[in-house]
Amino acid sequence: MEIDGNSLLFIIIILFLFFSSPGGDGVSSQYEFNQLQKLREQVSKEYKSFEEMTYNSNFKDITGLKLSYLDIKNSPEINATYPLPDKHYDSWEPTEKYMLLPDSLIKIIDEEVWYNSNANSNNIFPPNISSTVLGKVNLISNNEYLLNPMPIPRFYEPSTDFSNTVPPEGELYLRDFLPRNKDLNVTFTQGDLTIEISHLNKVASEINYSKKKEFNTQSDKWKLLNLRITFHDSSENQKHSINTLAVYDITRGRILSISQSAKFRSIFAFPHYFNFKADPSDKVFNEVKQLINDYVTTSNYVETLTMSNIQEWYDESHSKCEFMTFLQLEPWNQYTKDQIKMIDDELKWPLGRPANLSSLPPISIKSGLLFSPDCGLHLQLENVKGERYELQVRSIRVQLMFGVLLFVSQIYLLLLQMKYTNTPSSINKISFYTLSMINLVDGSLATMYFIAASVLPELYLPLVISAFICFILASIFETRYLISVYSSQINEQSVGILTLLRGNLSENNEQRQTIIPDDASISSSLYGRFFFSLITFTFLILSSTAWSKQFRMVFEYVTIFALNSYWIPQIFRNAIKGSPPRGSRRNLNSSLRRQYKNPFLWKFVIGTTLIRVLPVVYVFTYPSNIFRHHKDTFFAVLLCCWLGFQLLVLYSQEIFGSRWFLPKLVIPEGYSYHKAMSLQNLLEHGASSDHTVDCAICMSEVPVYVDDVPTTHKVDLDSFMITPCNHVFHTQCLENWMGYKLQCPVCRAPLPPL
Amino acid sequence: MSMEPPTGLGAFPVTKFCMVSTGFVSILASVMSCKYLFLAKYDPFIEEYHQYYRLFTYQFGAINESDVALLILIWYQLKHLERLLGSYKYINMISLIYIYTTVIIAGLSILTNTLLGITIWNNYPTGALPITLALFHFYKEYTPQIYEFEIILSPPWSRSADSKQLKWKLNDQFYIDALIALLLINQGLAGLGCGFLSWLVGVFLDKGLLPGIEGWRLPFSNRIFSKKSTGTNTERNTTENMGNGAVSGTNSVAGSANVSTAELPSREEEVPDDEPARPLGVQFLDTFRR
Repeated sequence: MEIDGNSLLFIIIILFLFFSSPGGDGVSSQYEFNQLQKLREQVSKEYKSFEEMTYNSNFKDITGLKLSYLDIKNSPEINATYPLPDKHYDSWEPTEKYMLLPDSLIKIIDEEVWYNSNANSNNIFPPNISSTVLGKVNLISNNEYLLNPMPIPRFYEPSTDFSNTVPPEGELYLRDFLPRNKDLNVTFTQGDLTIEISHLNKVASEINYSKKKEFNTQSDKWKLLNLRITFHDSSENQKHSINTLAVYDITRGRILSISQSAKFRSIFAFPHYFNFKADPSDKVFNEVKQLINDYVTTSNYVETLTMSNIQEWYDESHSKCEFMTFLQLEPWNQYTKDQIKMIDDELKWPLGRPANLSSLPPISIKSGLLFSPDCGLHLQLENVKGERYELQVRSIRVQLMFGVLLFVSQIYLLLLQMKYTNTPSSINKISFYTLSMINLVDGSLATMYFIAASVLPELYLPLVISAFICFILASIFETRYLISVYSSQINEQSVGILTLLRGNLSENNEQRQTIIPDDASISSSLYGRFFFSLITFTFLILSSTAWSKQFRMVFEYVTIFALNSYWIPQIFRNAIKGSPPRGSRRNLNSSLRRQYKNPFLWKFVIGTTLIRVLPVVYVFTYPSNIFRHHKDTFFAVLLCCWLGFQLLVLYSQEIFGSRWFLPKLVIPEGYSYHKAMSLQNLLEHGASSDHTVDCAICMSEVPVYVDDVPTTHKVDLDSFMITPCNHVFHTQCLENWMGYKLQCPVCRAPLPPL
Repeated sequence: MSMEPPTGLGAFPVTKFCMVSTGFVSILASVMSCKYLFLAKYDPFIEEYHQYYRLFTYQFGAINESDVALLILIWYQLKHLERLLGSYKYINMISLIYIYTTVIIAGLSILTNTLLGITIWNNYPTGALPITLALFHFYKEYTPQIYEFEIILSPPWSRSADSKQLKWKLNDQFYIDALIALLLINQGLAGLGCGFLSWLVGVFLDKGLLPGIEGWRLPFSNRIFSKKSTGTNTERNTTENMGNGAVSGTNSVAGSANVSTAELPSREEEVPDDEPARPLGVQFLDTFRR
């Protein structure tokens, strides 16, 4: 390719546009620059005050920690300013005088939630607890406690016009216009809770810097976690999600997480909130402070703040309550420390060590409490537990491989079926829609596997293999088969259903296509249709996961039910094509018997049904399935019955004839190739004097049974065939030809299949 | 016996099985994330955990992808041995070599490590390296060299012709030699050491120092191979007429491939088929062709 000046300029401009996006910190205007400067100033000031803090000193000028519970109790209209008159900043004790929690809760946490760890110091807790734990959450109170008026600094607000370069000063109190925010309140008594626990062991020290460093100098005692806590009522109307840092105390099995937003800089609150007894030794305080210090300095916390932090924190300060979460883990006292280390190693890097992973106890939370200082919510955790993340990944891997096995057996069955129907006449009896429904499900499964493979790096290989096999099944074998079904049925387009039932169109002169498209154009149009419906359907399914629970359930049930009705089109197709009952078929000669053979192999029908219903039954009846789908045995049974019913109808069609459920009146006479001819008709087609016609295929004579000439009446009607276009052939010749194409060899008029 | 081997692997069922399983086992293990089943190390697996099963499994799957590729290529080259011996004898020989190499390598390493008190022999090879090395001896010993050629390299800076020419003499077997060398180097000291031992096993077996090469038969293997070649009388006759060059004990090898095509018509006799019966493999390919 030759590059002249213009195209070079064009390339440079394109590259400029690519690379001139906002830098790593996301700043795109003067206003945002000032916002970020302001945030960094604020955080570094707070960090300085954190560094000076000791166990015997109170929080000073830190966002969200300026007012204690007692301050609000004394004067509910108080504003969060620093310094407050008569507030003691040089002393600390774990009471409501200094903390955000009321005394009653402090007592509960100290004596019930964290009681166990305070009493027994010989417990052993696993150092690595990455997992997803599930359980229930109970509302204890939503109106008992006073609300902490956490103001939102106004510099977080986005710019209102372009000329504005300086963010506004001051703070905004939500209590002024939203007394007890209705959207944020919790009114259900019991809800479902999910906590995703992941470890934060390494941090990057620069924005967009991919190399991460370990920061924790006390990783044998303390760990930093990322928690994603979500809870909602059973109908998912009230949904809360908290995505936050947490500190894990390995020696005592305690986890504390405090949410962070524009109105609450909780990262500096951890040291004080780990101690609920006046502790003269201040060991815990110093260790946690060291951990936070390590994290802040290694990650360059102040310098790596970006615009996305500002936007996220600003949004969360409006739309979410702040939550403090206190969790106590169940100890793993059945193991020694060495055994736990071996288990961890084996999970991380499987080598077949004798760790006996199958009997590994779940990560379970013995007691837990959620408190929101600014919404006054108090919630209690109940029966929260879950498997280690690595074990979950393992079981998913096994299930994926089982799915691959199902796909492979489906491919095998399809190949058998394709071999069984290898002529256009036999393919013609297969319903196009039955196959398309099966194909749609397989195709969208393949796309979803592909999407999942990019989201779950741990399962990349099995997911990609599943996607690959599924895609081969859908786009090569099934679509290939669909193309041949479609092209064998193309004659029937623009033909009324009655005509189809009859099987020919000799009487009325319906307009019909004379140009039959070739295979290439059919396949390209079908592939286009396949990919279009696939993408639409996949997007529909993906978007449905975000719908509200009611709509989602209705959609899910209707879709599964509809997609599992794939034998219905085939039942209709059978009825249209019509085949005699099995009993009467026995008396037919072999070629006719072959005409009326079943369109689908029974092996294929039953195998396909089983392969398709197994995963659905698994998801609906096995309570701890990988999708965490709710259990609904009734629907699973209903679905099986529905499929069984379809199979039953298919089987009855084979036994009693495919039209047994249609009244006789509706069924018109079908087209018969074996019939007598009138003399006039025969003469028009150039018959010779002894009433024979030349067969255009074998070029030898065909004796014809002519109504008007009694001498021809000894000719067997089955020995010749007359097409709807009145051409005459030997039965053997035309049947062979019809194995390839359903067109008259002389005039190319479409032939009704045998 | 003709100089040209039959094309394709249809006539080499054992070679085909070895090649396919070498790849398939590794892929399956990788997908299931249980490649460690084929990893053997004296410390800690044998010494500390007493997982002796590893000494018997490490030959079934290779851990490195490059080893998998090399082994598949080597199995392909060794198909000449299958042609020479016949499939039945070949599979019996492979199984016998597997037993000898496993026992000798495991026994020697455990003996060395326990006698010396320190672990000096820690690593074992992965994949079928020992088997292929022992077979390599038989290959070298019994496969005739077909041709050889010379590569003449002259240093580019010297103008005068044949002043100091470098002459390489290569024969048709240089490819498998190179593959074996790569395989040995690829696994480091363990590969070289165990490879040498296995080669010795091959030599001893050949010379009769290690018994069994004549009498050893895998249980049931006879039945599998005799079943495979039923219904191929015509094929068998042609191969036998070709001059019985194969040392095969009871069965011919080359005939067993096209069994399925010959069998099919008899099964569907009641239906006069206007199309020739198509085996599943052809059916599979037809989806792309038609």
